[in-house]
Amino acid sequence: MRAIDYALREGWASLWRSRGSSAFAILAIALAMIVLGTLLLVTWNIERILVQWASAAEFSVYLRDDASSEQRGAIEMTIDSSGVVERREFISKADAIGRFRREFAELASLTDSFEGNPFPASIEVRIRPAAEQDGRTAALVRQVSGLAGVADVRYDREWLGRLASGLAAVRGAGLVLAIVMAMAAALTVASVVRLGMHARRQELDIMQLVGSPIAFIRGPFVAEGVLQGGLGAVTALAFLWLGQGLISALWGTELSVLFDGGSIAFLPARLSAALVTGGMAVGGVGGFAASRHAI
Amino acid sequence: MIETQHLSKLYSRGLYALRDLTISVAKGEFVFLTGPSGAGKSTFLRMLLLQERPSEGEIFVNGHNLATLSRSDIQEYRRGIGFIFQDFKLIPSRTVLENVSFVPEVLGVPAAQQKRRAFQVLKWVGLQHRMNALPNDLSGGEQQRVAIARALASEPVLLLADEPTGNLDPDLSLEIMNLLREVNAGGTTVLVATHDRELIRLVGRRTVTLDAGKVVEVA
Repeated sequence: MRAIDYALREGWASLWRSRGSSAFAILAIALAMIVLGTLLLVTWNIERILVQWASAAEFSVYLRDDASSEQRGAIEMTIDSSGVVERREFISKADAIGRFRREFAELASLTDSFEGNPFPASIEVRIRPAAEQDGRTAALVRQVSGLAGVADVRYDREWLGRLASGLAAVRGAGLVLAIVMAMAAALTVASVVRLGMHARRQELDIMQLVGSPIAFIRGPFVAEGVLQGGLGAVTALAFLWLGQGLISALWGTELSVLFDGGSIAFLPARLSAALVTGGMAVGGVGGFAASRHAI
Repeated sequence: MIETQHLSKLYSRGLYALRDLTISVAKGEFVFLTGPSGAGKSTFLRMLLLQERPSEGEIFVNGHNLATLSRSDIQEYRRGIGFIFQDFKLIPSRTVLENVSFVPEVLGVPAAQQKRRAFQVLKWVGLQHRMNALPNDLSGGEQQRVAIARALASEPVLLLADEPTGNLDPDLSLEIMNLLREVNAGGTTVLVATHDRELIRLVGRRTVTLDAGKVVEVA
């Protein structure tokens, strides 16, 4: 306990003594943490949208123009007997063009130039959330796709899945970038801590000669790295918070459509804490590497 | 307390700093190590502090075979040894009290005891009234007394001094030697490396004379 207390006191004193060069190390860690934090912030918010959209999953069965009422009845029976459907609604060709005119009023005049009604009739199916996860919906979509009278089936899970895969790829690439930047930050911390070590060379020599425990000799350098890392991560969080506020102020209205009336959320406490812990770990690794030169 | 067996130190240029040195110092003894510059006095003290390793031979100090100590064992072993150098090696940015309490502090002694112990040894060397001064504000003799106080702060069983009076005038040198005699009277083994024959004559203790790394006389 006394070793930790001593390490923290001396680590802070050393950081303050060499605050100019420490600022570089803090900035390097802040940059790495901003990259990682931006990645977390973006993916966390996209995941929120995905969860929202997944809970409202539905698919649309587009009918051929020549589909008979018997064929439509068979399709509806297949859907109803599947046990995965919360509700379904038949949208006739007339309903479809009417909806288009309502929802895209500025384009409504275009429909006057159409020869006939190009919009197909469809059955919109809202799925029970549980059926999303166990694969029964996908099976139903495959079954309905093969029925007579069906022109196409649009299942939003497919593009949600593609989006989720894309998100995983972005996360992977971002993580690699953040790791590279974290390694560079750790090297910067190690260099800055070693600079401070020269100022304490005489103290270190005396500590070795009097038999000071190794934790007392190396501990302050590890603590200095941890403190630099923590300060860098807190700086990164402050920048991320400002950035998120700025984006909300500039594009809040547009983004509220995506978030169902809400807005971009800042990182939750556990992710913010993880980011700070990560920064401290990066700094600690740099400090630990530097401390090897203390003995 | 100190026992060496056929101790040699060979540097890469083929130069021997010590050659086949076999000496012993009993517990509680006060011994001078003397000889001309380059005789091997400082090398021997550095070996006792494990700042250097012998090329051949063995060293036993207070029951420890120094060749077998691990890194953490070395730190533990050094806690039993005090050291004094010609250039004092005080930390210029710390006060006298802080220089002395630095030793118990980095040995993990609780804060209250650190200051108490530091004050006790400063009082013993007669410098309690200068405890808030910085080393550069002290005279050479005072600085060496602070160095002695610091060496005693860890209550060592063995005190090593490398030319402790090298930077002092004859009166101050004698004063420092008297202080070391008092340390020795308290039971601490003292080994002093010096080339000052006159001082050795005045103090009058067992003297081991080295020349070119070899023992040439024990008197």
